[in-house]
Amino acid sequence: MNEPKLAVSVKGISFGYTKDEPVLKNVSFDIAEGEFVGIIGPNGGGKTTLLKLLMGFIEPWEGQISIFSKSATSYPNDIGYVPQALHYDRTFPISVIDLVLQGRLSRLSWTGRYSKQDREIAHHAIDQVNLTDFCDKSFGTLSGGQAQRALIARALATEPKVLLLDEPLAAVDVQAEADFYEVMHKIRKNLTIIMVTHDIQAIIQHVKRVLCVQGSVMSLEPGQVCEHFALGLYHFPLILTPEQHFAKTNFN
Amino acid sequence: MDSFFEAISKNSLLLYALLAALVASVVGGIIGSYVIVKRIAFISGSISHSVLAGIGFFLWLERTQQIAFASPLQGALLAGVASAMLIGWIHLKYRQREDAVIAAVWSVGTAIGVLFISQTPGYNVELTNFLVGNLLWVSPQDLIFLSILDIAVILTCYLLHYRLLAICFDEDQARLQGLSVNRLYLLLLSLIAVTVVLLMQVVGIMLVMTMLTLPATVANLFTNKLSRMMGISILLSMAFCFVGMFLSFHLDWPAGATIALVAGITYAITLLAAYRKK
Repeated sequence: MNEPKLAVSVKGISFGYTKDEPVLKNVSFDIAEGEFVGIIGPNGGGKTTLLKLLMGFIEPWEGQISIFSKSATSYPNDIGYVPQALHYDRTFPISVIDLVLQGRLSRLSWTGRYSKQDREIAHHAIDQVNLTDFCDKSFGTLSGGQAQRALIARALATEPKVLLLDEPLAAVDVQAEADFYEVMHKIRKNLTIIMVTHDIQAIIQHVKRVLCVQGSVMSLEPGQVCEHFALGLYHFPLILTPEQHFAKTNFN
Repeated sequence: MDSFFEAISKNSLLLYALLAALVASVVGGIIGSYVIVKRIAFISGSISHSVLAGIGFFLWLERTQQIAFASPLQGALLAGVASAMLIGWIHLKYRQREDAVIAAVWSVGTAIGVLFISQTPGYNVELTNFLVGNLLWVSPQDLIFLSILDIAVILTCYLLHYRLLAICFDEDQARLQGLSVNRLYLLLLSLIAVTVVLLMQVVGIMLVMTMLTLPATVANLFTNKLSRMMGISILLSMAFCFVGMFLSFHLDWPAGATIALVAGITYAITLLAAYRKK
């Protein structure tokens, strides 16, 4: 059987916004093609910084990041990015189709028009997230969950190999969360998904691995994640001791 | 007394004035829409006031140093683009104190303009005309120059519309897609500078912001699509200019101020109507 390819490789990176105050120190991890990985950690622990590094928006002081063997800063890269819908100005005059077409910006011709193929791909992405009837609707009129799915469609329209999601379930209701995971499982095939979230109890039901970011990065299996984290009570050490893990496993 | 329409057919000055206002309305509607959705009205205000430095300097060169090729319009264009580049650089490199530095550019630009104009014969009339506008100033040569600028802005926006839309809506996504976000931002500011020069002819420097922001703000209440917002904004801007000039002709009011007032009253009415609808 073929070994899965390496999708994301992070080797010995350190980074900080001011000298002598590293946010991330000597971080290394790998993510294989097709993996669905959750990223958790306390506020200020470096989750957003890690995302920015993966997207190539900032460069590490030291170390290397590669996405499918290419440098993270060589644009357009293989990343589809889904930010929080909450970050957007809801009065901005943009329709869902125009939003999703932004996933095809790198393919725009010099005349600045989208091709027929670009439009077909954008419509397909909208279908995948179950927003077919909302194509011409204004992005600002969508509910929180629908807006989040529209942003996923935009990321899918880039035909990415890696999908990065930044707290996509912040401020959405239970039904929207269920719809979200349904879409995630539908699109998972051939896609590496990295999702930052605070909802640890939900994410550990869907992923096989969690990266806990708190200055450094620790790779955990869902069973190793302490239930305190789910309450936002991050502590050091980040993982359960073998005795705690044993007790938790037996208790469950 | 002739009616407004009779006067237009008889008086070429009035016709040029109306044409200049309509030409400026096209770019005002397009670029004003970007200004509103990108929320850079303050930055645009700084650019619009900085053009006075170029006007003053070129007017001084023309009148006191007898440099024939220097015209206030060219000076305004140069100063506008230079201040756009400076403000853009501040925005990209110096975000912590951005608002204070932009305010400084705004006031220093105005001060330089006032100083040069004060050293130029005809000081009071020139300064008033530039600050509050005098449409009857527009010469046929000015009209040609303004039309060329108009076409250049329209063509640039047509070719780059989706890219400009992207940097206005989501710079991160644009960057991930390989767009030169910083260059596009500087280009947008330069387009604003050119638009300011065009609108300045109509309403004057002090009232440019009215024409750059109000038609687009009203248009935003009626549509959810940026290209449609631009279209509505152009039509509104043309209507404001036409009604404003009509009223100023019959009431003997300054044209620029009347146009700005018409735009302001329309905005207030639409805003009230929108709130009542909610």
